[in-house]
Amino acid sequence: MRGWRKRDAELQRELQSDLELEEEEQRENGLSPEEARYAARRAFGNETLIREQTQEAWGWMRLEQLMQDLRYAMRLLMRAPGFTITCVLILAIGIGATTAIFTLVNTVLLRSLPFPEPDRLVWVSQQDHSLPGVAPESLSYPDYFDWRAQNHTLDGIASYTGATVTMELKGESQRLDVQTVSSNFFRVLGAAPMLGRDLSWEDEKPGNRAVMLSYSFWQSEFGAEPEIVGKSITMNGHSYTVAGVMPKGFEFPIENPAPVFWKSIADEAEGKSPASEQRGFDTLSVIARLRSGVTVEQAKADLSVIAGNLARQYPDNNKQYSSALVEPELAHMTGDTRPALRVLFGAVSLVLLLVCANVAGLLLARGSRRSAEFALRAAIGASPAAIVRQLLLESLLLSLCGGVAGIALAFGLIRAMLTLMPVEIPRIESASIDGRVLVFVLIVSVATGLLFGAFPAWRLSRSAPARALREGGRSLAGGRAQHRLHNGLVVVQTAIGMVLLIGAGLLMRSFVRILDVNPGFDSKHVLTSRVGVPFDETKHNQHYIFYQQLLERISALPGVQAVSAGWPLPMSRFSATVSFNIQGRPVAMADQPSESLGLAMPGYFETMKIPLIAGRDFGEQDGLTGQPTIIVNQAFARRYFPHDNPIGQHIQVGVGDDLFDHPVREVVGVIGDIKRKGLTADADPEYYLPYAQALITNPYLVVKTNGGPAPMQAAIGAAVHELDRSVPVYQAATMEEYLYKSAAQPRFQTFLLSCFAVIALALAAIGLYGLLSYMVVQRTLEIGLRMALGAQRGDALRMIVLRGLTLALAGLVLGMAASAVLTRLISGMLFGVRPTDPVTLAATAALLLAVSVAASCVPAFRASRLDPMKTLREQ
Amino acid sequence: MTIEQAGRRANLLQGTLDMLILRTLLYGPMHGHQIGKNIQRTTNDFLQMQHGSLYPALHRLERRGWVSSKWEMAPDRNREFKYYRLTDKGRKQLVVEESQWKRMAEAVARIMWPAAEEG
Repeated sequence: MRGWRKRDAELQRELQSDLELEEEEQRENGLSPEEARYAARRAFGNETLIREQTQEAWGWMRLEQLMQDLRYAMRLLMRAPGFTITCVLILAIGIGATTAIFTLVNTVLLRSLPFPEPDRLVWVSQQDHSLPGVAPESLSYPDYFDWRAQNHTLDGIASYTGATVTMELKGESQRLDVQTVSSNFFRVLGAAPMLGRDLSWEDEKPGNRAVMLSYSFWQSEFGAEPEIVGKSITMNGHSYTVAGVMPKGFEFPIENPAPVFWKSIADEAEGKSPASEQRGFDTLSVIARLRSGVTVEQAKADLSVIAGNLARQYPDNNKQYSSALVEPELAHMTGDTRPALRVLFGAVSLVLLLVCANVAGLLLARGSRRSAEFALRAAIGASPAAIVRQLLLESLLLSLCGGVAGIALAFGLIRAMLTLMPVEIPRIESASIDGRVLVFVLIVSVATGLLFGAFPAWRLSRSAPARALREGGRSLAGGRAQHRLHNGLVVVQTAIGMVLLIGAGLLMRSFVRILDVNPGFDSKHVLTSRVGVPFDETKHNQHYIFYQQLLERISALPGVQAVSAGWPLPMSRFSATVSFNIQGRPVAMADQPSESLGLAMPGYFETMKIPLIAGRDFGEQDGLTGQPTIIVNQAFARRYFPHDNPIGQHIQVGVGDDLFDHPVREVVGVIGDIKRKGLTADADPEYYLPYAQALITNPYLVVKTNGGPAPMQAAIGAAVHELDRSVPVYQAATMEEYLYKSAAQPRFQTFLLSCFAVIALALAAIGLYGLLSYMVVQRTLEIGLRMALGAQRGDALRMIVLRGLTLALAGLVLGMAASAVLTRLISGMLFGVRPTDPVTLAATAALLLAVSVAASCVPAFRASRLDPMKTLREQ
Repeated sequence: MTIEQAGRRANLLQGTLDMLILRTLLYGPMHGHQIGKNIQRTTNDFLQMQHGSLYPALHRLERRGWVSSKWEMAPDRNREFKYYRLTDKGRKQLVVEESQWKRMAEAVARIMWPAAEEG
């Protein structure tokens, strides 16, 4: 605009100087100054006109005209507020929903990790070749140290593993989620403490226990006291030196709950048989930073060589781990959520497409009413291009308004989604509208505007002006091609609606199936929590006796039906796989099978209503001094004792404490299979040891109550603290909550897709309704004539409903065909339902047709109420 | 585009005016007024330049890169004018247009005065 003004000023100056020269010449010819001026002006002509004509030669600067068109478009839209508001609202729904989902995609998948050169950060693991497909296995400390020392492709490779510690905070002992990290952890990530020093190699050695505090923990527990650096804090009965404090916002690994601090691996290197020396103790997650210029593939090849060497060198522990897995960290972190987000984004794009078709239909109908206006403009010289430009500008204006309203809507939608969202999706809590989202909205708005504007504009610019002028005010404007386009738009809307309905229907059926799954235990009225009883080897007996006393006290509480303890709790994220050998079936140590390990106190299976299939439950005889025993589940019995009776067999499991050092255990019972990892997962083979004979980790208390379990929580906490004030109670929840969470992801997907389907159905119905209403108005004359000639009201009604039904059927067939392809994309999200499920298809089709008929009825009824005489007179 | 011919309007073929301007600029840089006067004078006032044709043509030629313009001091007076000069591209274009015009003029001549052709 500024360049244009400057240019115009220059042109004016150029013309002015010409005029002055002209005037001079006239004076030289002998005219008086005044006469000369008039003569010059006469000879020169109309200066404004010359200027305009010259400006046209510039060509590329049509801004002024564009502004004029824009003003005109604005006036037009404001003159029809009903139409404008309808369009903007529909667009806002489409753009808002798309923006909300894109915000999630952006937050979870697209935003880079908050570390310098995040593309060089990779997730590293080892491949378990005893399992089919990609099967990552954690590293052990000795493996990790070898990888760290021998690789040639990494700038650094760091280990981290989750831990919970007991710490006295504000006079109360608490369990905290922390991470145990190698000393180069922060350097590999490219982060540095804001206070104090980084961890050093020395901090990995026995005796040098150190911690790095998170900013929020430093704030909340140490009052942001800088003097804390260098002092020591006590946890798990040991003292740790505070090395430093990480800056605000630093978080890794990104999980829920976030680690409150990071401790050095010194404590893993201490004790009789330290974890840092056990090659079979695979617990470490590993992140590495690639050397610049090194590809993921090169790093993978490099580390696989090391893994291969270790497998040969230590076949007992490493035989099956002969190669490495390397993946970009971001891709690994978000890998699980990728398909679901992709489906949601696809679904919401369909909604947006439907919105486009819907608004295009509205514009087309309105355009027909305006055909006289366009004809007039064409008749007085507007080119088709000018009319298209005018119409496109109007639709762009509409879609930009829709975009602004959509952002507002997206804000609300994101809030709503966050409360529904399964917390397992990494980074989701930080979902917010950022610059990239705004750019996305702009692009989507413009693209939408062009898309829904293009068809009507193209169509309307082609109507013959003379005919339209003649018939302008009357009904027949538009013509056949326009009807075809409008019909096509409605069919497309119905088809998209059908696709979304089928998708939502399938997910709903699948979700119902998931809820119908028998988990193998009864979650009703079961309250769970853990207590942090210390594992002190010298007081092993007391540890178990504490639990025995605690269970006694709790069972005496009013309202308690049964109480016990076990580990791991079904649907919790904990699990352990430990190798074992069956007596009488000798195998090399490297070829020993391994399965899921569980721990149980007497009464655990009964409290959880896990059925006992054969043999007996653990009892008092399986205590600290009893014979070593073991219970297996049905899947275990099927796999390892397909022809024998499992009861009485002997199994030696690769775990032990100082009282029970890898004893041979007798199988005393078989229990039913339970869904431990999730409702949709198969039940794995499992075996359980009596807790008294394997004091490995604090079990979950399970308390079956008579009524609602929640109020019991305080009483349980009191019972614990009566026994020992220093023991923290944590992870309190009901079993129902665990079950609910385990279905959170499908619930979320089903809910969102259903919302989209409902919006789609409503819009498709509105589209159909709009088309038929418009048709009734257009064909008033024809309907009136027919009635005058003897047609019954029912005939008119039938004609319109039939038309609606025909269009709906066409859309339905098209939608079914598209779904046949598209539902394959969600087959991975379905459980117990095939993508071609006939029940879903039939129900969806019935719903769509019913809604279509309903949408057709109103205009049809209006047509049947037409008064033929009045109609004919008016026309 | 119209060029006034002794008071009567005559539509000249598209491009003729462009050619005349380019040819005129062959003498050296000129401002708009000079170009107009030059064409007028050379044709003994037969062709009278209309400003409404001249300036759009000049700006069009400039946009196509056939002429370039610059505000310069006039040699004989203490004032700046916008001078147009022929570019290399313009020189080539002039050759093209000239040969086209020649072919056209010959074609017209053959129809109008066939005798001359026979003779």
